[in-house]
Amino acid sequence: MVQSKKQKYLFLAFCLVPTFILFAIFTLYPLFSGLYYSFFDWSGSSSNKTFIGFGNYIKLFHDAIIPNTIIHDYFLVVTKVIGIMVLAMFFAVALTQLKIKEAPFYRVVFFFPNIMSVVVIGILWTFIYNPSIGLVNSGLEFIGLESLAKPWLGDETWALPSLVLPSVWAGIGLFMLMLIGGISNIDKSYYEAAEIDGATQWQQFWRVTVPLLWPQIKIAILYIVITTLNGSFVIVQVMTGGGPNNATHVMGSYLYQQAFVQFNFGYGATIGVMILVLSLLTVLILQFFMRREKVDY
Amino acid sequence: MKQLQKGRGWLLFALLLAFAIFISACSSDDGNTDPDSTSDGAEKPSDSTSDGTDGGISGDLEIQYFVGGYGDSWWKEVIADFKEANPNVNIIEHAGPNINEEMRSRWVSNNPPDVVYIDGAGSSETQMVEDGQLMNLTDWVKEIELDGGDKLIDSFIVAPASYDGDIYSLPLVFDTWGTWYDRALFNEKGYEVPTDFDSFMSSMEKIKEEEGIDPLVTSGQHPYYFMRGMLYPAFAAAGGEELLGDLISGAEGAWSSDIVLETMKKVEKIQKAGLFDSGLGALNHTQSQMNFLLHKNAFVPVGFWLPNEMANDIPEGFDFGFIPSPMQDAGEPFAIVPDLRPLAIAENAKNPEAAKAFVAFAFTREYAMSFSEHTGAIMNINGVDLTENEKVPSYLTEANAMINDPEQVQIYEKPYPMSADLETPLGNALMSLMLGNMTAEKFVEEAEKAAAEYRSGL
Repeated sequence: MVQSKKQKYLFLAFCLVPTFILFAIFTLYPLFSGLYYSFFDWSGSSSNKTFIGFGNYIKLFHDAIIPNTIIHDYFLVVTKVIGIMVLAMFFAVALTQLKIKEAPFYRVVFFFPNIMSVVVIGILWTFIYNPSIGLVNSGLEFIGLESLAKPWLGDETWALPSLVLPSVWAGIGLFMLMLIGGISNIDKSYYEAAEIDGATQWQQFWRVTVPLLWPQIKIAILYIVITTLNGSFVIVQVMTGGGPNNATHVMGSYLYQQAFVQFNFGYGATIGVMILVLSLLTVLILQFFMRREKVDY
Repeated sequence: MKQLQKGRGWLLFALLLAFAIFISACSSDDGNTDPDSTSDGAEKPSDSTSDGTDGGISGDLEIQYFVGGYGDSWWKEVIADFKEANPNVNIIEHAGPNINEEMRSRWVSNNPPDVVYIDGAGSSETQMVEDGQLMNLTDWVKEIELDGGDKLIDSFIVAPASYDGDIYSLPLVFDTWGTWYDRALFNEKGYEVPTDFDSFMSSMEKIKEEEGIDPLVTSGQHPYYFMRGMLYPAFAAAGGEELLGDLISGAEGAWSSDIVLETMKKVEKIQKAGLFDSGLGALNHTQSQMNFLLHKNAFVPVGFWLPNEMANDIPEGFDFGFIPSPMQDAGEPFAIVPDLRPLAIAENAKNPEAAKAFVAFAFTREYAMSFSEHTGAIMNINGVDLTENEKVPSYLTEANAMINDPEQVQIYEKPYPMSADLETPLGNALMSLMLGNMTAEKFVEEAEKAAAEYRSGL
């Protein structure tokens, strides 16, 4: 039976309209209302709003804390991408190629942090970093390096780097599974052929695994970048609250502070617009740099 | 072709429909307020006098109160009594530790509760007055009388905050920041309870040496604990109410004045002597208070709510001792800067008569007494004798006696709470100073800059 055009469009509408409605309500509307509020001087806790045009944007460019929050965000992006990708790749390759008997057990163990809420992870690591009862300092003392012990999260220099470890720890599992999935799709005969040709394990990794795994690697990196730019707020808020002296504020946590602690909701919305623009730009640039021909052997 | 166009028309119609649903979903806020506003008509404002004992008021009365260190048992008691006295009023309570956040959308959509107790994170009296959310109570408050016939307005310990001569809130809780220590430990080891800055330093140095701990702790995540608990009294002791008011309003030159610099030098001195907890930068307020209870530190600046807030974690034998923060020079009396938590009525209250009746009902000497029993803090009504009451903790009766002796303690009132827009940058610089990354001179410079920015944003 040949479908009439009408039936076809009816079916299309049936599929598209509900999604579009949900998308409009939960994505487009907040997006545009955020943009709208960024033009107002509004405390966020009353119905009084004053239109101030680009006032908030001018303030944004003069705010001395903003450049630091951007730097902190990209510091986390870079360290997290490197940390997570290197470790996730290492574990993925180890668990698939090295024929470890306990591989399924490790898979579960490494994935464990992913099923924990970031808030729980943050609180857990706050205890680990605790200057007097924490694991880190007592560990350093145990191996005789007590001179290195410090109040990690309470130190203006070390607070931000200290946030990297829990973020990486929390992120490895998911990407490891993603890479394992990719690796197990690579035909074993490639490795056998490479071995016959005399390629070392290292060469096999760079010449076979990485090129064939590139689509997964690319997605993993993009995903880490986006979630860090949008979501590092949680770990900062739980572990340091942006302090000491703004040393760990990322764009998201600064937005929260402005909008909900200092009652500058309009300005908070402006920071939100900035996060959106920066995330889009970053993703576009990354897409451009990570473009590669699809490899097929 | 015709078919195709018809199909397109259909799609367009579907999209329009979707948009219409979306728009109506967005404007549902207005719809929500309708059922509530009908209760406006149902309730008949009575001509009762506002002492609240008259049963002439009726309808729904919504009360929003924050539940923090003081708990909610006092509120439950007052509300139950009010219900009994006014059986026609249906009280709807909105309470909890996050209530300010939870009720925010109600305030934004101009559908606020009738009575609000302003306290806790996410609330700001100054902001609410600026946003015109609170009812002007200037004339009404003069009519209220206490049970003994005294005028309420003359019976406050600290008068209501004045915004260009107008009163928008009535201070319910008289709290004050001060410095806590464990009396049991001090008695046992013979440590000196400080009476001024010099003895504070010598006491802390001795404790550091003998106990092997960093004696002074505060919350680094919330630098305002140290600011309100230690610096306000220090500024007030040295510069009086005028300086304190200038500092809070960010007046030009106030933060770079000599008095501020000298006070910040004292903070620098504490830092240089290694008397601050080295890990305080990362601590939130509960962690800092926990460290204090565990004797990892000997002093902590907090308000009267500390024992109540930490009630479940107090080690056996711990005996709370309270002194006004000893930042003043030798020979000067202690300084106290009261911190008031007010009760207010919403400008858009739907049942203003019942709201007024409730507020008047809560301000009595009887409830002031029971407030101290329930919370370990003081209600802002004078003439309440706590000494005879065994249910009131000893630190409170002692502190109360001390506060009432002008030889020992001077009370300095601040005009209104500092805006978060000024307090945040000041707190950040203060934290840097306390961690030893900034000098007192640099702090003063940063603070003056923050005040200038705050003024320009007004």
